[in-house]
Amino acid sequence: MMRQLVFLLLLVATSARAELVIEITQGKDNPTSIAVVPFAWSGWGSAPEDVAGVISDDLERSGQFAPVKLANMLSLPTREADVYFRDWRTTDVEYLLIGRVAGDSTMTIEYELFDVFRQTKVLSGRETGPAEDLRMLAHRASDDVYQQLTGVRGAFATRILYVSVQQGYNAPSTYQLTVADADGARSEVIYESSEPILSPTWAPDGNTIAYVSFETTRPAVFLHDLTTGTREQLTNFTGLNGAPAFSPDGNSLALTLSKDGSPDIYVLDLRSRELTRVTRHYAIDTEPAWMPDGRSLLFTSDRGGRPQIYRVDIATGKTERVTFEGPWNARASLAADGRTMVMVQQESGQFRIAVQDLQVGRVQILTGTTLDESPSVAPNGSMLLYATKLGDRGILAAVSVDGGVKFRLPSRDGDVREPAWSPFLGDP
Amino acid sequence: MSRTFPIAFPSLSLFLVCGLVWVAGVQAQDYIDVEAERRGDPAAQTYPETTEPGPGFVPQPPAGETGSASSAGELFYQLQLLQQEVMELRGKVEEQEYQLRQQREQSLERYLDLDQRLKRLEGGGVPAGQGAPTSTGIGAGTVTAPQQELPGESDAYRAAYSLVRSQQFADAVAAFRQFLVDFPGGKFAPNAHYWLGELYLVQVPPDDESARREFNLLLEQYPDNSKIPDALYKLGKIYFDRGNRDGAREYLDRVINEFGDSGSSAVKLARDFISQNY
Repeated sequence: MMRQLVFLLLLVATSARAELVIEITQGKDNPTSIAVVPFAWSGWGSAPEDVAGVISDDLERSGQFAPVKLANMLSLPTREADVYFRDWRTTDVEYLLIGRVAGDSTMTIEYELFDVFRQTKVLSGRETGPAEDLRMLAHRASDDVYQQLTGVRGAFATRILYVSVQQGYNAPSTYQLTVADADGARSEVIYESSEPILSPTWAPDGNTIAYVSFETTRPAVFLHDLTTGTREQLTNFTGLNGAPAFSPDGNSLALTLSKDGSPDIYVLDLRSRELTRVTRHYAIDTEPAWMPDGRSLLFTSDRGGRPQIYRVDIATGKTERVTFEGPWNARASLAADGRTMVMVQQESGQFRIAVQDLQVGRVQILTGTTLDESPSVAPNGSMLLYATKLGDRGILAAVSVDGGVKFRLPSRDGDVREPAWSPFLGDP
Repeated sequence: MSRTFPIAFPSLSLFLVCGLVWVAGVQAQDYIDVEAERRGDPAAQTYPETTEPGPGFVPQPPAGETGSASSAGELFYQLQLLQQEVMELRGKVEEQEYQLRQQREQSLERYLDLDQRLKRLEGGGVPAGQGAPTSTGIGAGTVTAPQQELPGESDAYRAAYSLVRSQQFADAVAAFRQFLVDFPGGKFAPNAHYWLGELYLVQVPPDDESARREFNLLLEQYPDNSKIPDALYKLGKIYFDRGNRDGAREYLDRVINEFGDSGSSAVKLARDFISQNY
């Protein structure tokens, strides 16, 4: 398996760090027109960050909004008193966002959102935090604007984990586990190894992560605290140790182990360190994903001859098959509603991301490229991230759960894969 | 195998190799134990068939470790095959179970739908415009208000219509013709004309001339009937099949222009037909 992996990774030769850049490839038919006027800056020196630009990009990336270009703005108000609605009505702008940024080591963003047609203020807000988190403060403002206008909680102020692989000539490959803002900015390598890193996943607290690392020459599951940087090796069983998934309460970790023969699903209690075996089958059972109630797990099994998604009740062991459409379904991941399941579906050699409504069983294929894998749903259930190929390079891409909006996050260098979208972080 | 598979979901073939090694370790010992017991047990002699050498069986020295191992290997191979086959069977059973469940649900739905429609017919008809007309004609209860239902009419209509459903087309033609003789001004007369038109087209060989006559009759005598868009679409198709593209186009355009907002499925059919053929 290692050899196979390494061989695959050899195909990609690049260097340096994997920064992600966003390209929107498909938007909604009728996005809402919004003008995000450049925010006033009253701090010392030049503005450290284009806050209005960050917000505008966030809204555009959601596919629900079409931000107005700066050149088409007839006036550039930064205070309510300077807003003349006729400037915006004549250009058919539906909403107007203005604001101000001030501070030094602590930054404050103040903003107001106006409905141009009704000529009323619909939202005003204020975000304060350390200067280095200014982008995150801007994302929080985006979240509030998004929620005000769509009724859905925004997921811009979240983070993503991904694994990137750098391969230089005559040099061993380097695997990097990176955490970045949901827009790909402020990326930070949190762990680097010359051995593969797989399956990063977030704990519900948004601070602890788990992943599989081959640093001990065989796969082992590690816990990693993002604030302190402390790492802890959780498992060291013979055979496979893989596919960790935190329970909704964060107290348990479901994982795949093959210590008793074939790969099966186990649940590890993180407090007592007690291990419970959940499945027992000579077929391969792997890729557990928790149902929101924490009582059952979805997993992939080839017990029916080919990989399909099954659901098992942890207490009773009762197992039922969930997917019937398509000859090959794997890697289930669940949105917070407990009803929208995304997975990888393979048909005639094409790997695509599909979404299945667990209540009515309806399946929709979301992506049209051929090697799409590792779907991870945003905490608000609006978008999902997945890994795909652009040319011969591994990149991340995102698609809305209804398939209508798509964007890519290609890295400037290197091969990127296995994205994991964080839960909501801190107070919104 | 894809490149996804080895990462999260280990390669099946690779897994089978691992599995084989593991099973061999445990099972080989079991098998050797059983063999040893059998050899020491005189009772085994009473079941000669169990120790009878099969085809390809190589006699082994009593303490032949290698022999046990290779026949053990054969056993594990058989076990693997068996497991693989059970897995495939399991998959089939799961899928059939699912299909069966779906079919049961669907047939229940169909029954409820039919039952509802029959009740409507028995209950003396439907308010005008109710039930979406479809060009496949499932909306059999659709009629316009002005005509009065005649005694015995709905039974006769239902009988004729059931022949359509059971695909006895020749009998259905006869039944609808008789129906129009018995109930010429009846409530279901326009439907009967429409169905005759459809039936002339599906019978072998199709009689498009008669079909055209029935559809035209419907157009002239019942211009407000809800089946008009469907009839226009069918006329368009009849003209097209006869090679009259312009005539066909006129009918198809009428469907779109006159009924574009009606929500009739004929509008979509007409649009699709135009986009495919013009």
